[in-house]
This record gives sequence, C-alpha cells and structure tokens, in this order.
Amino acid sequence: MKVELIYAPGCERCAAARAGLKAATEKTVPDVRWREVNVLEEIHYAVELGVLTLPALAIDGTLVFASLPAPQVLAEELARRLVQATTHGS
Amino acid sequence: MITIGKLAAHADVSTDTLRYYERERLLKPSGKSTGGYRLFDDEALRRVRFIKQAQQCGFSLGEIRALLLLRSRNSACCSDVRKLAIEKKLQIESKVRAMKAMSKTLDGLIAHCEDDAKPLDGCPILAAFDDANGATAANAR
Repeated sequence: MKVELIYAPGCERCAAARAGLKAATEKTVPDVRWREVNVLEEIHYAVELGVLTLPALAIDGTLVFASLPAPQVLAEELARRLVQATTHGS
Repeated sequence: MITIGKLAAHADVSTDTLRYYERERLLKPSGKSTGGYRLFDDEALRRVRFIKQAQQCGFSLGEIRALLLLRSRNSACCSDVRKLAIEKKLQIESKVRAMKAMSKTLDGLIAHCEDDAKPLDGCPILAAFDDANGATAANAR
C-alpha cells in the first residue's frame, strides 16, 4: 500500500500533523510506502490526483482526504482497506 | 479624502464596481462630506488596486476577502498567503487540464468531419453528441 502526504513547503500545519499520521500509517500497515509530495515539485501529479486544497492525503494513487484526517481516522481507513484487500485476495 | 468618483478614476474602475465592493464588504468609506457624500482615504485606493491585482491572478472576491483579512491579521504570516496562492495555482492547473481534454476531444470530432458538403443529418459532430446522449441515457436506465 502507498500513502502520500501532499504538502506545501513552509506549511506549519503539515509539519505538525506529519509525524502522527506517519506513525499511525506505519503501525497499521507495516510494509507501507510512505511518501511526502512537495506540491511545488510535483504540481502536475497533485493536479492528476485532484488536489485543490493543502495539505491532502492520497492512498494508492487516489485522493482520499482533501484535508488531513486525525491519525485515528487514517488508521481506520487503512485497516478497512487492508481487510478489503484480504477479502478480495482470498 | 476623495469621493467615490475620484477613487474610481484613480483606480481605473467604475463607480458601480466600487459600490459592488462596498456591498461585498471589501471596501468601506472612512467618512462623509458635509454634503453627505461618502469619502475614501489612501488605504481605500490601495485596497482597490490590491483587489484588481488579485483578480488578475484568478482570485474570486470571496478569496480576496480572505487575503485582505490575512493582511490585516497580526498573527498571519507569509506562508498563509503562499498556501492560498499555491491552492489557487492548483485550481488553475486543474482547469487547464480539463480544457486541454476538451480541446483534444474537439480535435477528434473535427478530424471526423472532413466532408463539409455533407447534409446536416450526416454531420459526424452532431452524431457524436447524440451518441453521447444515448450512452448517458442508457447508463441512467
């Protein structure tokens, strides 16, 4: 699974939320690929995802949170997707 | 202190535009003349120029109100404004992307319509729009 935090450099809100979200992600999905996307360096990718406000969060190449969720909410969403993937995989 | 007419002339906008800004709470007079006319100060001229410049960068009046609020707030910093500017750029890039897709679709339709002597019934562009309607209706069923 891939989780991407799309942020604007210099954004204090992104920096404050980053650690909590990353920890919740890594705890829920041990083999996760966590990526931080600087919107100024990858603006076309952000547009492709449909990002219009910052910061935002995408899971597996899809914009899932247009504004940052609480770590618990993200963990629940990731856990739901893990169960879904297991069900579909079996 | 100047009247609305002079402010309009200095800022190169119409008095109707200034009245609209007043109604939208983007501008307010700083006093009244003895004759009861609304008067504006230098800050009003600065604000009108600010609004015009921001509009040219694609900001709506609602967004400009937020920018003006940030400008007047001591706790705000440059990165707050920068974030709004980046978000505006994202919106513009998104529209550019959608318009490019529209342009590409039109290229395809124009390429299909090489014979301009065909009767209207055989127009492939109109037929393509009809097909799209049919597909949408079928999907809705």
